[in-house]
Amino acid sequence: MSDGRTALTPPGVRVAFAAPGVVVLLLFFALPLSVIVIEAVSEGGSAFGRLFQDPVFWKGLQGTLVLGTVAPLVSVAVGMAVAMHLSRLDQATRTGLLFVISLPLTFSGLIVAYGFILVFGRAGFVTLLLAEFGADPAVVGGLIFSPAGLGIAYTYYLIPRVVLVVLPVLINFDTAQIAAARSLGAGVLRAYLDVLLPQIFPSLLAAFCLTSAVAIGAYGTALALVGTQVNILPLMLYSKISETGSDFPAAAALSVVLMGICCVVISLAEIATRRTRPATTAPATK
Amino acid sequence: MPIHFDAVSFTYPGTQTGVSGVDLMVEDGELVALIGPSGSGKSTCLKLLAGFFRPDHGRINVDGHDVDTLSPERRKLGMVFQNYALFPHMSTRDNVAYPLKVRGAARADRRRTADDMLERVGLSGLGDRATKTLSGGQQQRVALARALVFEPRALLLDEPLSALDAGLRVAMRDEIRRVQRDAGIATIHVTHDQEEALSIADRVAVMSDGKIVQVGRPDEVYDRPRTRFVARFVGQANFWPGTVCGPYEVDTPIGRLSHLQEGSRPGDKALVLVRPERLDLYFEDCKTPPPNYFKGRVSQDRFLGSIRRFDFAVEGTVIRVETRDRAAPMAVAIPPDAVRLLPPGDNE
Repeated sequence: MSDGRTALTPPGVRVAFAAPGVVVLLLFFALPLSVIVIEAVSEGGSAFGRLFQDPVFWKGLQGTLVLGTVAPLVSVAVGMAVAMHLSRLDQATRTGLLFVISLPLTFSGLIVAYGFILVFGRAGFVTLLLAEFGADPAVVGGLIFSPAGLGIAYTYYLIPRVVLVVLPVLINFDTAQIAAARSLGAGVLRAYLDVLLPQIFPSLLAAFCLTSAVAIGAYGTALALVGTQVNILPLMLYSKISETGSDFPAAAALSVVLMGICCVVISLAEIATRRTRPATTAPATK
Repeated sequence: MPIHFDAVSFTYPGTQTGVSGVDLMVEDGELVALIGPSGSGKSTCLKLLAGFFRPDHGRINVDGHDVDTLSPERRKLGMVFQNYALFPHMSTRDNVAYPLKVRGAARADRRRTADDMLERVGLSGLGDRATKTLSGGQQQRVALARALVFEPRALLLDEPLSALDAGLRVAMRDEIRRVQRDAGIATIHVTHDQEEALSIADRVAVMSDGKIVQVGRPDEVYDRPRTRFVARFVGQANFWPGTVCGPYEVDTPIGRLSHLQEGSRPGDKALVLVRPERLDLYFEDCKTPPPNYFKGRVSQDRFLGSIRRFDFAVEGTVIRVETRDRAAPMAVAIPPDAVRLLPPGDNE
């Protein structure tokens, strides 16, 4: 099929179609990226040395990895439950709910942060409501300004991403398989663990890696919620290039590290999904 | 082990559809086909038996025990699903071995038993293959093997052949029948294909609107249908409204027909049924005409290969005829024993 298509399309046309994308990619991705990499290694790589000797960096790396693991884990668990429910609804209801669920994706992180402050902050709606029942507003209201609270705020826009990744797989899953497993002797839980889970695991892993990369790189919500109180790499980067920052090579080195982490996480997802794909779908397309 | 539906009723929540008052006994080793148009409740009966729904009224017994409180996994019933519902992430052997695995059989035992079962359905050597790489007929056999490998108390087949093409379907019928005989267990086979049901089943139960309207041997249901619905569902038929006019005689729009059926009184209304293959054909005029003799001409001729199905125009109406003859007859006769009188009310 691909042979036929190339024969019919003159090479010039294909170049013309590809050109705008290539230009955008070069200008806004490759160019800034190379500048950062050049900046990071400009002093013979000593910027990395300074970074790695800074205890704040290691603390920040730890905070980032914890946030980049816990928030996605919670999101995958919640998102999968939501997706399972959506997959059982009729098309129209599902489309409507999906629209609502995807809405958080269109908000900027700052809006999410302010929304959380208004609802869960020290004078927030929920905080005051809980105070009526005797909960200390200082404790409840302080929660969202902690790393755990940051994790909760992240799940707000990570869960929709999980739903969008997992839902198509669940919709295509033939639920007769669960019925079959049960008639063959498996209990409900066993049927789901033996039959559904292995088949959707690649997409769960992909959803985890995707949301993990987002959580690792996000900084708008974090900045608005916790300022620079919580030590995570994106906020460290922010403080290096804004307030007191003067060490641009170190900031560039930090950027490279952050990008590296995200690339590794995304690659893991790619490897995981690719390894399982040929076993399940390749023979069918033969 | 016998299966017994005792006055089982079930309505899908929030709808009017379901089954009502279903009574059915399936003996050990017997294969009963449940047939009916879509929505008639045949698959619902199977799901009730399998335990995916619970009856609103009535009981289902397997081997003398009420199973209605048991969840599906505890009923020990082997089920083959319409699209097989094989597990795509497992090999063919692991699919067949799955019921043994959930029952905690040792790995080596599972493997041996599954391979034996695959051999019984004619798939030896394919255990390592992914199920997606198997043909439709092979997948069907895997589903059958998987449903039988744990020696279930009964076998449930939900339209098992509907996903296959016509030629394979006929071959797989015999295969299912052979494997079922082999296993010797009570079997319920749900299908909308009347030919499949008649050819494979010990008995046929015809369903309509959530009720079983007739149960009997295939030839009984075909030759002596109780209603117009059954007659039409299990084959081609001529129907004429009739009025009984004397012992063994009935008046119809095509004329007076003599018949052999007992139990009708003059003046009774009846629906007259004649199967199209039962007619005798005459290629030249008969000097001493037999009973129920009609002259006419072929008005429409359909050649179907093994048979011809034609409309024979007689005064004011047509008689549908099936024959192996290639020539056009000039008269037909309906043997009196081919005339069936049905209750008139059933006018769907």
